[in-house]
Amino acid sequence: MISPDDAGAVPGVDAAVSGRRAECDGGHAIAGSHLAGRQEFAGTLTGDFVDSGDPPWRWYLLGELTRAPTGYPHDTVWCESGSVFIVDDYERQTDFMV
Amino acid sequence: MPKDPLRTKLVDLLGIEYPVIAFTHCKDVAVAVLNAGGFAVLGEAMHTPDDIAADIAWIRDRIGGKAFGIDLVLPASAPPSGSLDELESKIPDTQREFARQIKEKYNVPDPKGPIDLHTWGGLNQELARAQLEVLLDERVPVIASGLGSPAFVLDAAHARDMLVFGLVGKARQARRQIDAGVDAIIAQGYDAAGHTGSVGTFSIVAEVAAMADDTPIIAAGGVTTGRHLAAALCLGAAGVWTGTLWLASRESDADMIIKQRLLAATADDTTYSTSISGMTMRVLKCPWTEEWSTPEAPDVLPAPYQMLLSADYLQGANDHRREDLMTEAAGQGVGFVTSMKPARQILLDMVEEALDTFERLVGDLA
Repeated sequence: MISPDDAGAVPGVDAAVSGRRAECDGGHAIAGSHLAGRQEFAGTLTGDFVDSGDPPWRWYLLGELTRAPTGYPHDTVWCESGSVFIVDDYERQTDFMV
Repeated sequence: MPKDPLRTKLVDLLGIEYPVIAFTHCKDVAVAVLNAGGFAVLGEAMHTPDDIAADIAWIRDRIGGKAFGIDLVLPASAPPSGSLDELESKIPDTQREFARQIKEKYNVPDPKGPIDLHTWGGLNQELARAQLEVLLDERVPVIASGLGSPAFVLDAAHARDMLVFGLVGKARQARRQIDAGVDAIIAQGYDAAGHTGSVGTFSIVAEVAAMADDTPIIAAGGVTTGRHLAAALCLGAAGVWTGTLWLASRESDADMIIKQRLLAATADDTTYSTSISGMTMRVLKCPWTEEWSTPEAPDVLPAPYQMLLSADYLQGANDHRREDLMTEAAGQGVGFVTSMKPARQILLDMVEEALDTFERLVGDLA
């Protein structure tokens, strides 16, 4: 699990992404098995992030969730930065294709 | 067309003979494939750092300096933290009762010991980091990330002359990882075992290959025959990533009951289900997956709650080797896995069939 309180974690705020709509191609390993699963989220980046370790591994906090697995009980999810896609950027990149 | 269509950039990158990667959790399978001219990636996501170091040493002792890979499941998302007790307390009575009814209906035995899920503690980001550090310290030739983006570890790996592969289920994930400098992309289609995206192998491989430039693309999902290998290369892949193919091999340490089920199974015997973990994955159908797909079933819970429910069933089935209850991750190509052969023979049969396929299409390759 991810938390700004984790040992070695360096929390911060990235104003550049705060309030941006984003999608997260999420998922993780499944404890007690050799399996993993995928989960998809969409929402708004709060701007909060956590960097952990060296090399830094950045995680962004996604809130105001508009898409989450059925029954997802939390209001937020931490998303690994490489799996976060800013929706506005994606729409801008694909505008010319219309 | 080159005279040897199997001489791809992946073959050159890895210094192997055949563009076939075995993804396996079994060290014996990995060593057999490596020594037969293929490549192998050992799945170590659920192993402790010490166990991973020991497995690396074990493999190195048996492959004479050849390159090999280790796969970790880097997490891509994580809910806020919570203790096991807190998580358990949030499971609704409706789902808890449905799980109890399944246990009663099928006479599912209790696990013989504590449920692994409860004692293991779960995979967290800190453990993934510790696992990665072992791979970097050991300079494992190839790190493969089976889920999350490995971009953050690229510089550290490349500084040690290590390669980094990323497995993707969507084209945008591939674009992101290619731009970051990942050394090869495994484009995994819906046909695959275990966790998989919703795009079919035929579509995602071609789409990712079209954007890849010089980055080798490895096709995954349902790849079990030489015809699949030939087709993957025609789609633009430089190799294939295979998993189910090796589960029933002679060297595989899978339970013999699971091997027999795999040998008898067809694509229809697999299901793309959330009932095991709350996250999508393809597994062999079993009473648990089938009951949760009935109209009477309550909603499947999200991860990690559904896994807390299913863990008792799964471990009880495995501990008591109940053939009627057991399941395993299996891809839609499982119908082509029909005999228990040595891994070397599986590889060579695949290569021979791929070459035959190309020859049928274009004539003598010699």
